[in-house]
Amino acid sequence: MAEIQLRNLQKRWGDFVGVEGFDLTIADREFLVLLGPSGCGKTTTMRMIAGLEEVSGGEIRIGDRVVNDLEPKDRDVSMVFQSYALYPNMTVYENIRFPLKVRGVDPASHDEKVMRAADMVELREFLHRRPAELSGGQRQRVALARAIVRQPNVFLMDEPLSNLDAKLRVSTRAQIKNLTHDLKVTTIYVTHDQIEAMTLADRVVVMRKGKVQQVGTPTEIYDRPANAFVASFIGSPAMNLIDGQVAEGTFTADGTAISGLDLPDGPLTLGFRAEDARLAEFATQAEITAPIYTIELLGDAVMISVRIGGALVSVKADKSFRAEIGTPVSIHVPARICHPFDADTGERV
Amino acid sequence: MATALARQPVSLKLLSSGFLALWCLVAAFPILWIAVMSVKSPVDAFDDRFWNVVTGPATLANGSGVSVLGIALYLAACWGMVRLVARQMPSLIGQIPPRRRWIGWVLGAAVVTLGAALVLFVLLPTLLAVLNPLAGPLGRDVFGFTTEHYRTVWIERGFLRNFQNSMIVTCGVVLVSLTVGTLAGYGLARSGSTLAFWILIIALVFRALPHSVLVAGYLPVFINSAEILRPILGDAAPTLYGKPLAVIAVLVAINQPFTIWMLRSFFQNIPADLDEAARVDGCTHFQAFRRVIMPVMWPGVITTGLFSFLLGYNDFLVTSLLLDAQNQTMVPAIAGMFNRETTTTDQVVAVAAAVSITAPLFILVMVFQRQIVSGLTAGAVKG
Repeated sequence: MAEIQLRNLQKRWGDFVGVEGFDLTIADREFLVLLGPSGCGKTTTMRMIAGLEEVSGGEIRIGDRVVNDLEPKDRDVSMVFQSYALYPNMTVYENIRFPLKVRGVDPASHDEKVMRAADMVELREFLHRRPAELSGGQRQRVALARAIVRQPNVFLMDEPLSNLDAKLRVSTRAQIKNLTHDLKVTTIYVTHDQIEAMTLADRVVVMRKGKVQQVGTPTEIYDRPANAFVASFIGSPAMNLIDGQVAEGTFTADGTAISGLDLPDGPLTLGFRAEDARLAEFATQAEITAPIYTIELLGDAVMISVRIGGALVSVKADKSFRAEIGTPVSIHVPARICHPFDADTGERV
Repeated sequence: MATALARQPVSLKLLSSGFLALWCLVAAFPILWIAVMSVKSPVDAFDDRFWNVVTGPATLANGSGVSVLGIALYLAACWGMVRLVARQMPSLIGQIPPRRRWIGWVLGAAVVTLGAALVLFVLLPTLLAVLNPLAGPLGRDVFGFTTEHYRTVWIERGFLRNFQNSMIVTCGVVLVSLTVGTLAGYGLARSGSTLAFWILIIALVFRALPHSVLVAGYLPVFINSAEILRPILGDAAPTLYGKPLAVIAVLVAINQPFTIWMLRSFFQNIPADLDEAARVDGCTHFQAFRRVIMPVMWPGVITTGLFSFLLGYNDFLVTSLLLDAQNQTMVPAIAGMFNRETTTTDQVVAVAAAVSITAPLFILVMVFQRQIVSGLTAGAVKG
């Protein structure tokens, strides 16, 4: 049972800022995902919580203890590494038992605990193999079993799925979600894959260049991105962003005129999602008119892209839609689906 | 399967195998030649005619020789013993719990050495004495063969004493080098600081110094060590000059930079994730080193240990300059056997000593060859 509090957490290497002013309270049993592009400080934040990286400033509390100066072993956390970090000289059984052994847990209970952990990740038949004899997915499950075997307060996962192929990733993702639900531990999960974040998280923290961009439930982050960066990072495809000008409630850009916006005059970045917009039935209905740049068949829909200014703008059309590249299309973008962002700072207006 | 792509022209095959054969001959010839010389009487050993050196008529005339039957029996015995040991020993020792397994290896090595000596020097000669007269032409001595030079070297000339000294010096060098080397190599491999980089560069500079510089630097200290150490050790303070301890100190100084560099590169191949996983799992820094990193490091430690062993075992300069007569090691002892006044008998005795000194190296490399080439780290991280 552990609530984790991060107070103004900072990490610097000389002049380089890794993480800056991170403030967050992670509730007991919450599944929190740290999301961001590589180099955004998400892994550094997790490593600071684990105790593998020294804290340059601020405070980390796990439960009611300040853990800043505690060794990793004294923090009661367990971690799954991106590379799995299995002990190559030990069998699967010995790997899973290792945390119990070094922590001096009563040897009589080892067997039962290892078996329970191995059963949870369906590893029972591989217990006597060495890591080198396992496939990537099996190694990943050994790493999971080693992390859950001693029932820690906090469960840390550093991009655990990034070395798996696409199909295995989906099934392991489901397994992780189910596992953490059963175990009822606070989990922090680092990823750069927004789909993992959306599917797994209770709450998502989007980070960029060491700073927190937005904290919220997946729905909040998807429906109301706090700035243009979050908007462009979440969703597949990313949100369309068009640079243009607002005059008397009408947004104009290359081939674009969207009216009915309640915004002051001046430059603006306007965003909308491909799945919210649709093709207009009549040219008079269209806010955007441009020639097709590419057309991609997705199976359940057809993705049409046009170029506005320098940016690609995508819209989802019915799966039976067909057209040649270069033919002009009309796109209906009502004002209510638009997300206005400041042209300079990218903050939501 | 020989596909058209993999098939080589006959001329290329002949050329490459011919070159290999020539190279083997050039590399192995000196060893084989002194091995042949060492079992012949001096007259044969220094004969001008190649074939006389090989067959040894003068040795035969002295009544020492070996029959075809004898050669066959000895070869069969050697082959049989190697097979027996290679098949039975690992599984026998595997039954001992891992913690006490090293005792098994030590005991096993002792039993094998004793057994081999018993078979080769007691059992087979007795057997041959009975069988040779019964075997007719096969039982007649055809090659001159005598072990008297080995007996002279090891027993009369006290080479055993030199062997013991060599072992003391070499084991000391290996032990100190590896202890310091693993700790330093691990620390330097895991540290990213500039200081670590400069320590490594300085180590390289010391490695580049001529060995005689180090000996010259240490010499006055060793000669006066009794006075220097008196305030600490009192009257028990030893004069290190001439003692194995002094040679160990100098050889470690020569060898340490190399072991640190080599072990560091082995440690760098072990992902830092392993230490971190161990620390999260409940180890202190040192426990992570001992329980997780060291077991993966054995091939590196053994390889580095072998190089340290060779340096200590083969060193001539330091040992000849710093050791007094009763602490002399094997290499300077052999060098001392050659001088202007030596007779051919003395020279053959020295040759026998030279052959004796290479045997342990062959055994060492053969025992550890698997560890030397093995890659235990495979599968540590993502595949």
